Amino acid sequence: MTDAIRLKAKDYKSEVKPIWCPGCGHFSVHNAITKAMAALGIDKDRTVLVSGIGCSSRLPAYVDSYGFHGVHGRGLAIAQGLKVARPDLTVLALGGDGDGFSIGGNHFIHACRRNVDITYIAMDNEVYGMTKGQASPTTPMDWDHSKLTPHGPGVRPFKPAALALASGAPWIARGYSGNPNQIAKLIAEAVEFPGFSFLHVMSQCITFCPEQTDWKAIVTESEAPPLADADEAAKQFLHEDGFQTGLLYREQRATWPPPGATAAEEGAPGELAAAFRV
Amino acid sequence: MATTATDSALANFLAHSLELESEARERYGELAESMDAHHNRPVADFFRRMAAEAEHHLQEVAALAGHMTLPQLKAWEFDWPDAEPPETASYEALHYRMSLRQAMQLALANEHAAERYYREFANRTGDAGTAAVANRFADEERGHAAELERMIAALPASGLHLREEDDEPHMPE
Repeated sequence: MTDAIRLKAKDYKSEVKPIWCPGCGHFSVHNAITKAMAALGIDKDRTVLVSGIGCSSRLPAYVDSYGFHGVHGRGLAIAQGLKVARPDLTVLALGGDGDGFSIGGNHFIHACRRNVDITYIAMDNEVYGMTKGQASPTTPMDWDHSKLTPHGPGVRPFKPAALALASGAPWIARGYSGNPNQIAKLIAEAVEFPGFSFLHVMSQCITFCPEQTDWKAIVTESEAPPLADADEAAKQFLHEDGFQTGLLYREQRATWPPPGATAAEEGAPGELAAAFRV
Repeated sequence: MATTATDSALANFLAHSLELESEARERYGELAESMDAHHNRPVADFFRRMAAEAEHHLQEVAALAGHMTLPQLKAWEFDWPDAEPPETASYEALHYRMSLRQAMQLALANEHAAERYYREFANRTGDAGTAAVANRFADEERGHAAELERMIAALPASGLHLREEDDEPHMPE
C-alpha cells in the first residue's frame, strides 16, 4: 500500500450514505468489503468496483475507490475488460441475483470459464428489490409474495455455485450477510486468489422477503478445507441445501489472457482509438 | 522490557473492547443514517444517541489502553461468542418501520449481551487485573441497560409493533 498510515475499514467508506432499507444484507457486504480492503492494505486509488443495476449495484458509490455503475447485467463484462487493459488494478465486480443470473447470466457463465483475475460478489436476496419485489432466478418456486407470481414462480431456482462450477470457475465461496466478518475474510482470500473468484452471498431482503431473517438459524459455517475435485464439488453443489458457508471449491488453472498477451497487444488500444477518432 | 502475562491478557482484552465499542458505534451510526433516509426520525435520533454512547465508551477504553501495544487483529480474527461483537445490532432485527420501543428493546438486548461478554471474560481470564477491568466494563453495561429499561418503561403503551405506513420504502433511483 502507498498510504503512509494504515487505513481502517471506515476510511474506505465514501461520503455517500447508503439508502438501502435498514437491515438490508447489503450493508453487511459493504462493511465486509471495506474491512477486507483495510486488512489487505489495498490502495484505494488502484482499486475499482464495477456493478450493474439493482439495489446491491449501488455499492461502488459507497466505497472510497474508483467505481463504475454500469449497465444491467453487464458489470462483469466491464470488469473483465478493465482488468485485461489494466492488470495492475484490483477489480471487484458486484451485483445482485437478478443482475448476475438473469439479464447478466450469459456474462456470468463466460466470466467463469474465461478466468480473468477479478473477484465477483453476487449479493443474492432471491428477489428484485429495487422494483418492489418480483421473482428472480434464485427465488424459491413456491414464493408467493409477488402479485406477478401469486402462486410462486413455479420454476426451480438456479444453484449459483453449481452453475459457476459447471462453467469453470476455479474459486467458489458462499457467505451470509449475518456474518460480515466471515464475508470480509472470504473477500480478502478472493482478492488474493490469482483468477476468477466467485463469492455468492446470501444477503437478506428484510423488506420484501422478511422470511429470510430465518436464515440465521439455518446457515452453517464449513470447517472443511475447500474441495479441489470438480466431480466431488458437483455432487455437493447439486444436492446441498445451499446454506453452507465458507470457501467451498478451489483449483488452480491458467488465467486469461495468457502471460505476455497483453504486452504483445499494447498497441491495440491506440489503434482502436484512432479508428474511432472523428 | 519483557511483556508480562498481565500486559498480554490486558492488551488482548482491550483490543477486543475497542473493537466491540467501535463496531457498536459504526453500526448505530449506520442505522441512524439509514433510518433518516427512510424518514423514521424518532428511531434515527435514538440510534444516533446510542452511537454517541458507544463513542464515549470507546474513548474511555482508548484512554485506558494509553500507550500499550495492542495486538493488531483483522476483523475476522477476534474471538466473539457470535458472528459479530456482542453490542453490535443484528441486521435481522431491523426494519425501516420499527418503532422506538422496538429500537430500544434491540439496544437493551445489545447492552445485556455486552455485559454478559465482559462478565464471562472476567470469569475466564486467569489474570486478576484484567478481570477487574472486565468486571468494571460489565458493570457499566449493566448501568446502560438499567437506563434503557427506565426509558422503555416511560414510553407510552403503544409501539409494540411495526409502525403503520402505506408507503413503500424510500428507494429513489
